[in-house]
Amino acid sequence: MDILTNLLSLLFLPLGTSILIIALGKHRKKYAPIVAFMSAIGALSLSYILLRNLPESVHYSWEWLAFGDSKFYIGILLDNIGATMLAMVSIVALCIVTFSIGYMSDDAAKGRFFAGVAFFMFSMTGIILADNLIMIFLFWELVGFSSYLLIGHYFQKEEAKSASQKAFIVNRIGDFGFLIGIILTYWQFGTTNIELLSIQSGIDPSLMSTFIGFLLICGFIGKSAQFPLHVWLPDAMAGPTPVSALIHAATMVAAGIYLLIRIDFILTSQVLLFIAYSGTFVALFAGFCAFAQDDIKRILAYSTLSQLGYMAAIFGMGYSGIALFHLITHAFFKALLFLGAGAVIHACHHEQSIFKMGGLFKKMPITSITFIIGTLALCGVYGFSGFYSKDSILIAANDYNGTLFYFLVFGAFMTAGYMGRLIWIVFFGKANSEAASSAHEVSAVMTVPLILLSGFAIFVGLNAYWPFGLGASIVSDLDHLHHLSGYKEIHKWVLILGSAAWIVGLGVSLIFYGKGSSEDRLQLKFPKVFAFLQGRLWVDELYQYYVNHIQKPVAEFLSFVDEVILRGIIVRGGAGLVGVLGVGFRLLQVGKINNYVLWFFVGLLLFWLYGIDLF
Amino acid sequence: MTIGINEFIIVSSLLFLIGFLGVILRRNTIIIFMSIELMLNAVNLALVAFSRYNNTMDGSIFVFFIMTVAAAEVAVGLAIIVMIYRQRQTILVNELNQLKG
Repeated sequence: MDILTNLLSLLFLPLGTSILIIALGKHRKKYAPIVAFMSAIGALSLSYILLRNLPESVHYSWEWLAFGDSKFYIGILLDNIGATMLAMVSIVALCIVTFSIGYMSDDAAKGRFFAGVAFFMFSMTGIILADNLIMIFLFWELVGFSSYLLIGHYFQKEEAKSASQKAFIVNRIGDFGFLIGIILTYWQFGTTNIELLSIQSGIDPSLMSTFIGFLLICGFIGKSAQFPLHVWLPDAMAGPTPVSALIHAATMVAAGIYLLIRIDFILTSQVLLFIAYSGTFVALFAGFCAFAQDDIKRILAYSTLSQLGYMAAIFGMGYSGIALFHLITHAFFKALLFLGAGAVIHACHHEQSIFKMGGLFKKMPITSITFIIGTLALCGVYGFSGFYSKDSILIAANDYNGTLFYFLVFGAFMTAGYMGRLIWIVFFGKANSEAASSAHEVSAVMTVPLILLSGFAIFVGLNAYWPFGLGASIVSDLDHLHHLSGYKEIHKWVLILGSAAWIVGLGVSLIFYGKGSSEDRLQLKFPKVFAFLQGRLWVDELYQYYVNHIQKPVAEFLSFVDEVILRGIIVRGGAGLVGVLGVGFRLLQVGKINNYVLWFFVGLLLFWLYGIDLF
Repeated sequence: MTIGINEFIIVSSLLFLIGFLGVILRRNTIIIFMSIELMLNAVNLALVAFSRYNNTMDGSIFVFFIMTVAAAEVAVGLAIIVMIYRQRQTILVNELNQLKG
């Protein structure tokens, strides 16, 4: 199989799967899981064959549309960064689809679910393979659409319905800026092809514009849920848990970071500076918010936000390779954590509040151990995958800016704190509800993906051992770090601080919250602090106020203009005038030929009078 | 007394007026048709008179064309009237008012 066939079949296999599942009709419920599973296996095998045969990078391009001299192309570009993403997405997707077979086993709308997941995989592969910004934008929107579809899976619930709309609308705001950015890029550079852009911005750096850069990163801010468009991600947890794992933790939200890595050469230093600071802010802000949540999935959602903040911060500092590194390690351990949370929720009969769980370690040992492995990886415990990427981030941050470095270390402490809170309350102590006390280990179809992913969560940090030369940009960035002056001292210092952060975080949360508590002690002891954290800086309330008090009057005014002036006066008025004229002229149509002749002569007379300049 | 251009114009105008009044006042299609012919011939008379007055042949040539066209028109028009009579058993225009708006 040549590379092009391989690429195209990899891209269209999930789309075909999605169509096939829909075409199954009433057999959907029975066959959808197995079809989706086979497709995920097929996608993984295709990726494997592809990556084994892949030269340095491949690029294909076809003309798509031509408007006069403006030509638009579609094409496939698979370089080392894309290949790394592709490998991660294929593996994570297979684990999550397998897990879904168990998790969704008693769901009535399995067909819709698996078709949606397959469609998402198609869109995501499209983003990874796209060679120009317009094509990225197309698949970007498709990803947003499938996210909308899957968040709203339980559309009978008001919460899920509004969450899916919120996600869609908030993403639209970011994408609007992104679209304008793409148009301006085309205007400025005459192309949106990523390779050409990189060549042109290299030849003539004066073409780069901060304004366009800020517009382009709007797409990233929306999709990767960065401040101030982060509001949709926690609400998106209303979707099924495997969806949260696949889309809202491992792949789609990481697509924003992937976009940044793809276009980093046209972002000016001001844009990078903004990304670095806003990323650090999100890393801390989301960490604080996580303390005031009691829904296990929402805690993980804020954790995802925080880790995306880390990726953005390190990207802004100029290390796109390390951002990719953290993206990959995070994808594995966060998918693991979400699936673990899914297993817990499944075992506790869809109970999601951590204060109604407790003591699950003895009842669900495999889930608990894998979840704890995920947590340790997330906290950056030495030897786990998260350690390698977070360590590199902190070293780079130390080199970049002392303040950001301490903020990020504090963020790591917060991570350990809220994850410790979750672990101690959910898995240790005693059961706090009927559902939790009757919980038992989930079936093998769900534990096997957990075990697989926990293997990745431990070992994926060893990027030197990645096959097929994946992650070349990571290696070069790490090399750059290793040759910093005083690297040894910095490394030691970061190691001490980083380890202190997770040890203190986990320890303090154990002492403060205790094992298996049934109440939030922070809320009891410091209600004001808790209320502040629960307010999440009142961004949602601010948007609510904006919509109710600013957007609504404007909309009402426009509605008035539309209803009264446009529709009432211009459209209805125009029709009325013509109608009245019609009534008048109809009086002339008396049905007597003699009268018509008379009018004919009157008309002739008028023309004649006009002709002799009488009037 | 010599007959000048003025007398011709007066006769021609009278003929035209009679034809016009016939068209707008009469109800019988045949009569209306004849009135139209009368108007055409009034115009013909005026054209011949002007042709003579100006010493050119233009108006006379025009008259030949008008007569030819009028002959053709009579053939078509009478055929239409016969068809209308066969269909409706009437040729009174006040009863032929199906196209009234």
